[in-house]
Amino acid sequence: MEVDQERSSLFRHQRSLDQPLGSIITFLLPAVTVYLAFTAFPVIRTLFNSFHRVLPGKAALFIGWDNYISVFVKDDIFLRAVKNTITWACLSPVLEVSLALLLALALYAKIPGARFFRIAWFTPVLMSYVVVGIIWIWIYNYDWGAVNVLLRGLGLAEWVKAWLGNPKTALWSLIFVTTWMWTGFNMVVLLAALHSLPSEVLEAGELDNCGWFKKLWFIVIPMVRPTILNLLVLSFVGKMKVFDLVWITTKGGPLWATETVATYVYKRAFEWSTFDLGYASTVASIWFVIILSGVLLLTWLFRQREKLEY
Amino acid sequence: MMKTKQLFISVTVIFCFAMTAVSFCLAADKTITLWSHWADHETKRAFVEGAAKTFEAKHPGVKVSIIWYEKTALYASLKTALRAGQAPDIFYAEPEQSEYMENNLLYDLSKGLKWSAIEDWAKEAWSYKGGVYGFPLEAWTVELYYNKKMLADLGVKLPPSGQLGQAAFLDLVKKTKAKGITPISLGAGDRPYPGAFLTHEAILKKLGLDDYDKLLKGKLSWSDPRVVSALNYVKQIVDAGAMPPSFSSLKLGESHFYFHTKPGSLMFLMGSFYPSRAFNPPDKGGQPPDFPLGIMQYPGLDNAACNDCKSITIGGSYVVNAASKEPALAIELLNTMVTPEMGNKWLETVLVQTGIKADPGKIKGPYAQYFRDLADASKGKKYYLDLPQGVLRGKAKEVFAQVVNQAFPAGLIGVDEVVKQMNASFKE
Repeated sequence: MEVDQERSSLFRHQRSLDQPLGSIITFLLPAVTVYLAFTAFPVIRTLFNSFHRVLPGKAALFIGWDNYISVFVKDDIFLRAVKNTITWACLSPVLEVSLALLLALALYAKIPGARFFRIAWFTPVLMSYVVVGIIWIWIYNYDWGAVNVLLRGLGLAEWVKAWLGNPKTALWSLIFVTTWMWTGFNMVVLLAALHSLPSEVLEAGELDNCGWFKKLWFIVIPMVRPTILNLLVLSFVGKMKVFDLVWITTKGGPLWATETVATYVYKRAFEWSTFDLGYASTVASIWFVIILSGVLLLTWLFRQREKLEY
Repeated sequence: MMKTKQLFISVTVIFCFAMTAVSFCLAADKTITLWSHWADHETKRAFVEGAAKTFEAKHPGVKVSIIWYEKTALYASLKTALRAGQAPDIFYAEPEQSEYMENNLLYDLSKGLKWSAIEDWAKEAWSYKGGVYGFPLEAWTVELYYNKKMLADLGVKLPPSGQLGQAAFLDLVKKTKAKGITPISLGAGDRPYPGAFLTHEAILKKLGLDDYDKLLKGKLSWSDPRVVSALNYVKQIVDAGAMPPSFSSLKLGESHFYFHTKPGSLMFLMGSFYPSRAFNPPDKGGQPPDFPLGIMQYPGLDNAACNDCKSITIGGSYVVNAASKEPALAIELLNTMVTPEMGNKWLETVLVQTGIKADPGKIKGPYAQYFRDLADASKGKKYYLDLPQGVLRGKAKEVFAQVVNQAFPAGLIGVDEVVKQMNASFKE
């Protein structure tokens, strides 16, 4: 009996040494507190608000699913914002990552001036969206913007447009800007991935008389696939939340051609002459679910079915 | 034991003195906080800061703490601060922000402010359910400025009233365009209202004050034949190439420069705050010193209900926070600005109209003639108090900004689409 008690005591002592509860709490508490205060609470509060009418100085009024019904049934601006954002979020990652891969391959192949190009292509991402927005407003300016000046210089005056002022071209013009801005970042990440590839595999491919395209398609891309997936997901999430660039350049116009869900949420929360945060919270909650689903779908689509061995 | 007792008594006495001194200091140093737009408007800042200094001199122990913002940042900060109960005693607002009144966030100024020194129409703009909630400092009308020399070169002479008829104005636009000159400088690149001037002034004239008010409040359909007729006229002007090709992206400041400097346009439909930019030195974006500036009337429309009607709006105003702990002092600070002398000072230095009763006749200096011209252009006019952006709410406001302010004057859509979109926007 005494032996059993001693063993039990020893076991408890050992467990307390393995899992020191006090230390665990001490180390986790700051991070958990920050997470709860600045991530979990705002998310839960936004969900709560989405079912209420929230006005200053008054208790939140429960309105059930009213806001959700309005968003899906009555709100055509929201639907346009969704269409624009999804177009942007589906197109941009593909453009950015594929262009970035080409640029990374060019640098990997050590083209002349590689060091210069690496810096030049990466520079746009170092600028804030505000600066980028202002620069591209100038570039797209109808009268003296570089694009129209170039077109006039090439004798293509009939192509001259108010690029950001025309509903047919505004969204594409902005997609071009984000592609210009983020391709360099993707390129640097892919370049790092390319440099970490085992040289034996590439050399083995060369011994097997693989051409450059086959080497790219059957060796390089499968091996950098996890990096590509991460970049696609990052780009997708970024474009699903795009706000700054649109706000600086077009504020969602003309005729909602560049309205995104993020700009629409801001307008509903702060610009529509109402203090009610409920409706904006509803849109934000719906969008949160959609982004989460999109990320899960992307991860599932690009999952690695077979583990690469080399 | 005795020593300990003495020490205890001494410490207690010192503590009591210290606490009394601290509380006395706290009581003496009251601070009135003010958050305002106009961070980059030097003359307006100087005007308000001057008033604050006068107030501080009259009220020893009271300080005024002013934080200057740009409008968008101010509005965002205020919405958060008001929700959290941390807003300042006084803040900048415009009458269109009726959400402040709807949510009981403003102090009723009807009894404290010196209303006898404020124009009635300006007071009216801030009236809401029996109370008056704002001090209307800045006011402006929608005016049609023009280049006198350019008009003379085109061989066109204005009638004594300064108002061309509907057909004559359209001819003038076509004639100007044929000469390779942009007829009207306007841009909707960064504001939700200037692009709509051309349209809402036409509709106002066609409908008259009452029906125009009904239209903006959703009580009159945009399919009304008079509205459609006004829209058709504006469409003719737009289709005649009246606007700069860069209309959609042209910013407010750029549209000023476009009119008076490069490339130059015949007319400029703009708020009468025009001088606050244009009367700066040319190297700061002002008009050339010898620029032949004139003011004409917006064209009179055929079968219009009120060709003498035009829009006036109260711009920058100050309101007192309903949760302020010192509302009387806050109102006293505002009253420092409410005198005829301050009204004249505002006109002379800021060069924009004001809701304070002022006398443009007393203004001296290089811009005295401008204010006399503006006063002449305003004689006998009837005003609709506010721009559509101030009256419309929710979706109608957003649709107006996108459709009437931007797409329609840019020639991107026709009259039917405007009518359809605006009618639909009021159904929600």
